[in-house]
Amino acid sequence: MFTLLRDLRRLRRDLELPRPDRGRSLAIRHVDAGSCNGCEHELTLAVGPHYDLQRFGLGIVASPRHADVLLVTGTVTTRMHDALLVAYHAMPEPRRVAAFGNCALGINILGTPDSFVGPVSEVLPVDLLIPGCPPTPDQIAQALMKLIDARRPST
Amino acid sequence: MNRTPAATFRAGVETALAEGWRARSLYAAEGGRVIRLLLTGPDNQTRLESVVVDGEGSVPSIVDLAPAMGWDEREAHDLHGMLFVGHEPLRPLLDHAAPLESWTVPVRGHDPYQVAVGPIHAGVIESGHFRFHVVGDKILHVDARLFYKHRGLERAAEGSPAASALAVISRACAGCMVANSVAFTTAAEQTLGLRVTSELARARTFLLEIERVWNHLNDIAAVCAGVGMAAGNTYFLALTERARRLNMNVAGHRLLFGSVAIGRSELVLDDDAVRWCARELAEINAAAEVGWRELAFNTSFQDRLDAIGVIDAPTVHRLGTVGPAARAAGVADDIRTTSPYPNYRGFVPVTSSTAAGDVRARLEQRVLELRQSFDLLGALLDSGPVTPAVAVRDADRQPRGIGLVESPRGATSCVIECAGDVVSRVRLRTGSYANWPAVSHAAAGNLLPDFPLINKSFELCYACADR
Repeated sequence: MFTLLRDLRRLRRDLELPRPDRGRSLAIRHVDAGSCNGCEHELTLAVGPHYDLQRFGLGIVASPRHADVLLVTGTVTTRMHDALLVAYHAMPEPRRVAAFGNCALGINILGTPDSFVGPVSEVLPVDLLIPGCPPTPDQIAQALMKLIDARRPST
Repeated sequence: MNRTPAATFRAGVETALAEGWRARSLYAAEGGRVIRLLLTGPDNQTRLESVVVDGEGSVPSIVDLAPAMGWDEREAHDLHGMLFVGHEPLRPLLDHAAPLESWTVPVRGHDPYQVAVGPIHAGVIESGHFRFHVVGDKILHVDARLFYKHRGLERAAEGSPAASALAVISRACAGCMVANSVAFTTAAEQTLGLRVTSELARARTFLLEIERVWNHLNDIAAVCAGVGMAAGNTYFLALTERARRLNMNVAGHRLLFGSVAIGRSELVLDDDAVRWCARELAEINAAAEVGWRELAFNTSFQDRLDAIGVIDAPTVHRLGTVGPAARAAGVADDIRTTSPYPNYRGFVPVTSSTAAGDVRARLEQRVLELRQSFDLLGALLDSGPVTPAVAVRDADRQPRGIGLVESPRGATSCVIECAGDVVSRVRLRTGSYANWPAVSHAAAGNLLPDFPLINKSFELCYACADR
């Protein structure tokens, strides 16, 4: 255990990640509405040690009840539609929705049309678009910083 | 291809299974008029059997002979409406409109109750639903309901030329993208009469193995997360990130998207790139060994893994479990042993030291397989630069093609049927699809709080199964 912690501290030092200049925070709830798992794999690493989104007060929380932002991946499938709405309505106000990845944005949707309800914007009011296939951890960080810096919602 | 009358279909399957063949994939074809069964022999030679669906839409079920085909039959029923005589009850798999009682196993007795989890989970996890039948913390039975992410990819790929179909099928799953794409291209190349040259095979072997490396690193991190060991999780996530950056450097995409094409490879690694790549892989390997040593000697971590989520060898054979989960139970089954790719020549699958088939064995299995992948990659890079390669046209076109690949999660098959220049049917059956039933079996008898750990020790893709 000591070795792991020592190596991680060394990695942290070598990476020289900039210190946060913000005092605000944002709690994020992720919902996979029909992705290929690429967005999930990249989002997982965005909260890993090389990017460490937590240092900006960005954290992934376990329940929509705790969340400021609903981060939705994938084109919304017919089978995920109801669950996505339940998660959204469980969030406290004010709440934001981020469409994460090209599929969520409706770009180059792959599949049979009758399997989908449509891009996230057809189901929920979207405040932030994060394009990419999938968005890289750097792009994820930049996009979420915009949301955290926005004093009032863009819609 | 044999077209078997329904009356003799079961007897034929029974004989094949007795001769050491195994059922790999079963699907509806020709617009629902026939059921096809992909069998593989002891040396992974392949055979497709067809049985005609009768006027009532029925075919004989083989689920009692080959329980591994249980999901396949349920899928064919839900998507194509055919009935499998003898498969009772034929529970819904993709039909989410079906009432709860129709897809759950009735659990009776003193005190059992149900815990419904998902489709949305508490972490950054794909969507799927688990219905636990428990008494207190003890799991009696789990019914998994997946396919929330069913995108109809196979249907979307049908009716288009193989190259367009590949673009659709390759996005079935990001984690197994290379493996699924190579399975597809192998099948497509057979239909086009193309032969893979050793240079093309070498490029694909490289991609398949670097995909296995990042997946196994990710899966070790996942097991650490499953017991809440943040240091181990973070350490292996850092190594996963390094592997993804290597992907980006060598193939231009962190998840290797776009790196596999039909009949060619554009992967280029010049002398400098080969040297850099070999050094980087050696460093990741060394760091993974350090991490593993720390995990191996951390008793409070190891205590959580022993005898948890057991899938033993007889269960592996019965359920058709594949990949690291099968090898962790001592079943030395690996498609790479019969791969025509020269870099896999002489490949001997490794199995966990305990062959216990528990969480600990599945974790150790990833470590052992990582070493093999690093060895394979080291030898491959030692033999010089990687250059663009093309397949050679030296055979007639075939109406059907079959690809078998060992993905990070196990044997994956892809069958393609063509009508002229277009793909008329494609069936992708991934290692995750094969192994999901094993997760439910592994969980029974364990405690509910151990389910995330058991699930993580398989680390199956939902996207791969749902398609």
